[in-house]
Amino acid sequence: MKQPTTNPAIDKVNRGLRRRYRAERRFRICGATAIITALCFLFLLFFSIVANGYKAFQKTYIQIDVFFDPAEFANENLATANFPGLVKTSMSSLFPEVNSRGDKKELFYLVSPGASFQLMQLVKNNPNLIGQQQSVWVAANDDVDMLLKGHIDRTRPETERRVSDKQLAWLDALAADGKIKKTFNTTFFTSGDSREPELAGIWGATCGSFYTLLITLSLSFPIGVAAAVYLEEFAPKNRWTDIIEVNINNLAAVPSIVYGLLGLAVFINFFGMPRSTPVVGGLVLTLMTLPIIIIASRASLKSVPPSIREAALGIGASKMQMVAHHVLPLALPGMLTGTIIGMAHALGETAPLLMVGMVAFIVDIPHGFTDPATVLPVQIYLWSDSPERAFVEKTSAAIMVLLIFLFLMNAAAVYLRKRFEIKW
Amino acid sequence: MESLVETANPGVLSAAGKEEILSEATSKALHQVRETVGNPFVDNPRMTCREVNVYYGDKKAINNVSIDIARNEVIAMIGPSGCGKSTFLRCLNRMNDTVEGCRVTGDIRLDGMDIHDRNVDVVPLRARIGMVFQKPNPFPKSIYDNVAYGPKIHGLVQNKAELDEIVEGSLKKAGLWEEVRERLNQPGTGLSGGQQQRLCIARAIAVSPEMILMDEPCSALDPIATARIEELIAELREQYSIVIVTHSMQQAARVSQRTAYFHLGDLIEVGMTDRVFTNPRHQLTEDYITGRFG
Amino acid sequence: MKKSILLASALIAGLFAGSTAQAAGRDYISIVGSSTVYPFSTVVAEQYGKTTNFKTPKIESTGTGGGFKLFCSGVGVEYPDISNASRAIKKSEFDTCQANGVKDIIEIKIGYDGIVFANSKKTAPLKLTRKDIFLALAKDVPDPKGGDKLVPNPYKTWQDIDPALPAVKIEVLGPPPTSGTRDAFVELTMETGAKTFPFIHDMEKKDKNMFKATTQTIREDGAYIEAGENDNLIVQKLEANPSALGIFGYSFLDQNADMIQGSIVENESPTFENIASGKYPVSRPLFFYVKKAHVDVIPGIKEYLAEFTSEKAWGAEGYLADKGMIPMDKKERDSIAEAAKNLSTLTMK
Repeated sequence: MKQPTTNPAIDKVNRGLRRRYRAERRFRICGATAIITALCFLFLLFFSIVANGYKAFQKTYIQIDVFFDPAEFANENLATANFPGLVKTSMSSLFPEVNSRGDKKELFYLVSPGASFQLMQLVKNNPNLIGQQQSVWVAANDDVDMLLKGHIDRTRPETERRVSDKQLAWLDALAADGKIKKTFNTTFFTSGDSREPELAGIWGATCGSFYTLLITLSLSFPIGVAAAVYLEEFAPKNRWTDIIEVNINNLAAVPSIVYGLLGLAVFINFFGMPRSTPVVGGLVLTLMTLPIIIIASRASLKSVPPSIREAALGIGASKMQMVAHHVLPLALPGMLTGTIIGMAHALGETAPLLMVGMVAFIVDIPHGFTDPATVLPVQIYLWSDSPERAFVEKTSAAIMVLLIFLFLMNAAAVYLRKRFEIKW
Repeated sequence: MESLVETANPGVLSAAGKEEILSEATSKALHQVRETVGNPFVDNPRMTCREVNVYYGDKKAINNVSIDIARNEVIAMIGPSGCGKSTFLRCLNRMNDTVEGCRVTGDIRLDGMDIHDRNVDVVPLRARIGMVFQKPNPFPKSIYDNVAYGPKIHGLVQNKAELDEIVEGSLKKAGLWEEVRERLNQPGTGLSGGQQQRLCIARAIAVSPEMILMDEPCSALDPIATARIEELIAELREQYSIVIVTHSMQQAARVSQRTAYFHLGDLIEVGMTDRVFTNPRHQLTEDYITGRFG
Repeated sequence: MKKSILLASALIAGLFAGSTAQAAGRDYISIVGSSTVYPFSTVVAEQYGKTTNFKTPKIESTGTGGGFKLFCSGVGVEYPDISNASRAIKKSEFDTCQANGVKDIIEIKIGYDGIVFANSKKTAPLKLTRKDIFLALAKDVPDPKGGDKLVPNPYKTWQDIDPALPAVKIEVLGPPPTSGTRDAFVELTMETGAKTFPFIHDMEKKDKNMFKATTQTIREDGAYIEAGENDNLIVQKLEANPSALGIFGYSFLDQNADMIQGSIVENESPTFENIASGKYPVSRPLFFYVKKAHVDVIPGIKEYLAEFTSEKAWGAEGYLADKGMIPMDKKERDSIAEAAKNLSTLTMK
């Protein structure tokens, strides 16, 4: 490999060669190690979330035979009928031997408190049911759900688990009769928050996130792009624009809670907008994402080659025409990418929303910008702090949904960039 | 249209005598004074430039340049890198307005109209003085849209048929029509370098300018494409005044009738092209064209 | 381009018009306040929302103090109607309310919450007294060598305090100062524990500030770890670290009985019955406060009160008890329910 040559300079080069390659190898190993470490952490994170949460997409149901006793529906108003009583009667009929008051309470505990609402809904949709016998699958209580998913260890002493020996026996009997099933948890995707884990869902929070982000997008994109275009193309370069530029860069690094405080002071206290609503949340997140969008938009405007500007000006286009016809279309993919990344950032934000009251228990699905609402990350935060064990898997499942949304948004950013990128 | 002046035509070069007098002075003295050698003025000019100075901030880039541009001529501007020839070219359609910190003084008139006058709008001015740049810079749009863009923004056409006509005519004048007529909807950026540059020329002439400024239009092209552009320039001379900045003395010799030599912001010598190349009167011009520096 | 700008501005204009129109009226109850009461009031709210035609109330968990701050800001739809509290309203807060026009406030006591000291089931339960807890956690404690003076806390293990306790390092995970649980914990254990020393007991009369500083300052040498507001996190940390002790509300012990156990305090273990009967010493009352001026403005407040004070909610067998709230005795419940029905307002001298 290293034959002595007559050229002394090449000899020197050859002597140093091994050291140079070694340095390169070392650097590449360092880089690869960093990547592998990062991937390991990422995998660990995903694994723990998925392992914790995948069971939340299933839900346990118990089949009961309900007799819609006409005597209970004497009153005109359906809501006042004794639906919990119907559920209890049905449960008792499954185990007629249960008599004592304490035992009955334990027995009724097996089904979710939501079962009576489910019956109410059935009757509302079909009043003909009154007077009929109907077999209905109702949600099981969260503790039953946890037990059947293996989160409660039945070998533990009775006092140490939330399901008693009697309840275990009843459940085993029901299972033997085929009256227990686990199916896909549609509730999780269609309902709002609830204090009963088996009734809680993320649809309310998803709608809240949607309305909030819609406000954020419709305000921050036009304002951000307009600001960037003005600063980059029209504003004179002087001390004032320098100050503005420095400030925008600083704002991008301000802790998001500060925007929450600002939003509280300005939008709620000064303008009197309603607390806990997507309007206010969206405005606060607009403030937060604006610097990100402005910076990304300016960078993408800067990357438009000056030759295109000269071409347009040289042909007699006005500055506005140059910007609107040539520079903006070329900068748009970069602007969109920046905007989507800003939106993804806003989607995952809780701290500023705390200040404007969006960290709240909200059951009803929001139907507009001024309905009280919460957002996905806040929902995750609230569930993670709930005492019920069943919320642990719900939390992880909600994180999975949030991650999927973030992933989709980032994929959209990549797609838009590829789709509209113009090469020359 | 007046035909371009011939070298021997004393009527055009009105102050031919002055040229003789200047040539008697020693080149060394001229070097210090740097007054323009040769006669920069013509009768019935398209454009007149008088005592033009350009500053970039505190730095003076063009120093007291006075020159006329005749109708239907190709005038080449040559000189070593950094001599200010491109800067001067960009004064003629006020492209320097877009450069931060650039200031132009002096008097530049297009057909007697002061282009720096407050009442003169830069937009129609640039429509009258087209420009072709060093690097081919078609818009990342279709070939058709590239040519149609100028007429569209200036409102030169009433309908699609007129526009089609202009596009076709411009592409024909630029000698590109036969090559692209089948693919007008394909992106202009997909053409070869030489085709792109001809597309840029078609784009410039689509708005019916009176002058075309070319800033080293062939520096990014291979010899065949260069030859094609040079032929085109010769054809275009019949309708337009063309100012071409070039690094290549051969090109200047091939395409231009007159040549102006710039050196460090000064206009050193102007004259009929064959005279300047065969018999340069200024020492600096001679040094440059004989390849002693540049 | 122009079209999209037009569209966006129309949208924005519409939004603002909508939001101002909405601010004029509110058709749902707005509740703020204690994170301890939050799990209970949310259950009531949900039940109320599903069984009545009113919208489900909106409940923010702002902490007791933060809740009163919002609650007492004024009267009108932009201010909350109800504030949850894990302690009674303070005189200063009441005065703020009065100053801001919130004249008539209805106080409703809803039940009790026990504060438990729990450790992992992997070890034996501790038997503590409030004096032990004070000695373990106060920054300055009476000199173990005797004499009525305070020295920086010298205790490293539980055995140092009482030879009957295990020789385990003192390590307590508890709530931060912003939490209502912390306030209650300091008041109910630290102060009571400190008062077992006669000279500290006397200090309360002589030097109020000194007494406060002595009893309320928690040691900062690492034995007490502020674990944030998330009680689930404390439970997980206890599971991972069997020698540590955690401080939180009873409902978390109730839900995690398979992993953790409550320490016995003053010979009473923290069971539902013991807290309800008052035998377990570390428990506190929970309240909520209603703005009377809002009762007829915001629809459904009376019905919400009725739901909360119904036997099926706060009764001994009610659903709040299932969630870990300790109910009051029947007599007290009846009298408070009656007062709630009559909207009797609170007075403070």
